[in-house]
Amino acid sequence: MTPEEKYELFEGKISDELSNKEEETLSQMIKENEVIAEEFRMYREWSSYLDSNLNLEKEQSDLEHSLKEIGDSFFEEKSPEKETRIIKIPSWAYAVAASVAIVLGVYTFTKSGPVYNDYVTIPELSITERGGESPLLKQAEVSFNSENYGDAEKYLSELLKNDDANSEYLFYLGIALMEQNKHEKASEVFEQLIQGSSIFMYKATWFEALNQLKQKNMDRCTELLRAIPQEAENYKQAQKLLKKL
Amino acid sequence: MGNNKAHADHRYIEALLTNDSLILKEIYEKFAPKIVGYIKKNSGNETRAQDIIQETLITIYKQAKEKELILTCPFDAYFFLLCKRKWLNELKKNTSKEVTINEEVVSIHDESAGYADETLAFEARNKLFAQVFDQLGKACKELLKATFTIKSMEEVALKLGQSYGYVRKKKSLCIGRLTKMVQDSPKYNQIKNLL
Repeated sequence: MTPEEKYELFEGKISDELSNKEEETLSQMIKENEVIAEEFRMYREWSSYLDSNLNLEKEQSDLEHSLKEIGDSFFEEKSPEKETRIIKIPSWAYAVAASVAIVLGVYTFTKSGPVYNDYVTIPELSITERGGESPLLKQAEVSFNSENYGDAEKYLSELLKNDDANSEYLFYLGIALMEQNKHEKASEVFEQLIQGSSIFMYKATWFEALNQLKQKNMDRCTELLRAIPQEAENYKQAQKLLKKL
Repeated sequence: MGNNKAHADHRYIEALLTNDSLILKEIYEKFAPKIVGYIKKNSGNETRAQDIIQETLITIYKQAKEKELILTCPFDAYFFLLCKRKWLNELKKNTSKEVTINEEVVSIHDESAGYADETLAFEARNKLFAQVFDQLGKACKELLKATFTIKSMEEVALKLGQSYGYVRKKKSLCIGRLTKMVQDSPKYNQIKNLL
């Protein structure tokens, strides 16, 4: 049986469209072959994930909105400096109060401005070729994905020695450097990608913006975020962060 | 998890599903102070606590929606444990900050810990699936989005100008590809037990 036929059987089972004979073939396969059984469980898991995640967007964003509102008012009430007191004050005092409020507002805003950790999501490195045996690729992948960025830096640099323009290696090297707070080196790597035309061009722009955010260089961060165009994968995140800056 | 009789606190899960703001407010009033206290004691602040609480509630909602989660234990310990682990993960991620953890001795009901583990595994699965889906080719992504949002395959076929058989076959191939991609991922072992 080809993989195509196998997947069609899986799909038929999930959408309840199998004939008795097909049903029998599939249960036989699942019973006899643990690999296929596991594959079927994973296929079903994906089907359930897609069904709920591709359909929930509106409902979920409504809930997020409610929670944000409730959370905001809960945390505001709790906060001691927002307690209300009734004091009779002359009208000029409103002007003073307003300026104090602005100063306080600016203070709280800068104090709780956006931070790197709120925005960063480290993508997974997947470079090992099926069937191919390259220990270095494997080592780079394992160390990067287990957040061992020092080793990942070492292995990726090694890989780049033989393939110095490989944009994928460069991109992940940039992240490994940034995660170790080697900001300048990270910038050099990201800049190289930003100047290029690989598929990592805009992703590198986004990560370089985060690299700047981590160092609290808000101006440079803003500048980079503005350079991310609408068609880029990170556009929405970039806009979200821009609003906070 | 064991018997399936819902605990009275299951109403908090229901409130997430129905977006019932009155009961959602109660969740914050009753359970947030302890979580805020914990996060503040462990290098956090109120803003971060608010985010952690919101993210955790969204995860619970997603699990309830997709997996029909029925809570058979008190919400308090389950929710606290989830927020706590989430916060500790976040601290670990932040390499530039020194971490001191003031661990309290909290006796956690075993059942709550079991629920929390399930929810965390569910969250790990979602994270991995989202990453993998992101790597899928554009054509597959669009086809899957169409088939799962429109539901009627005939309608999808019509919209894409293809035959019903072709769309159905394509759909199964795309999900098959996702299945393979996840199984090839180094993180597969972390979520395998969930199945």
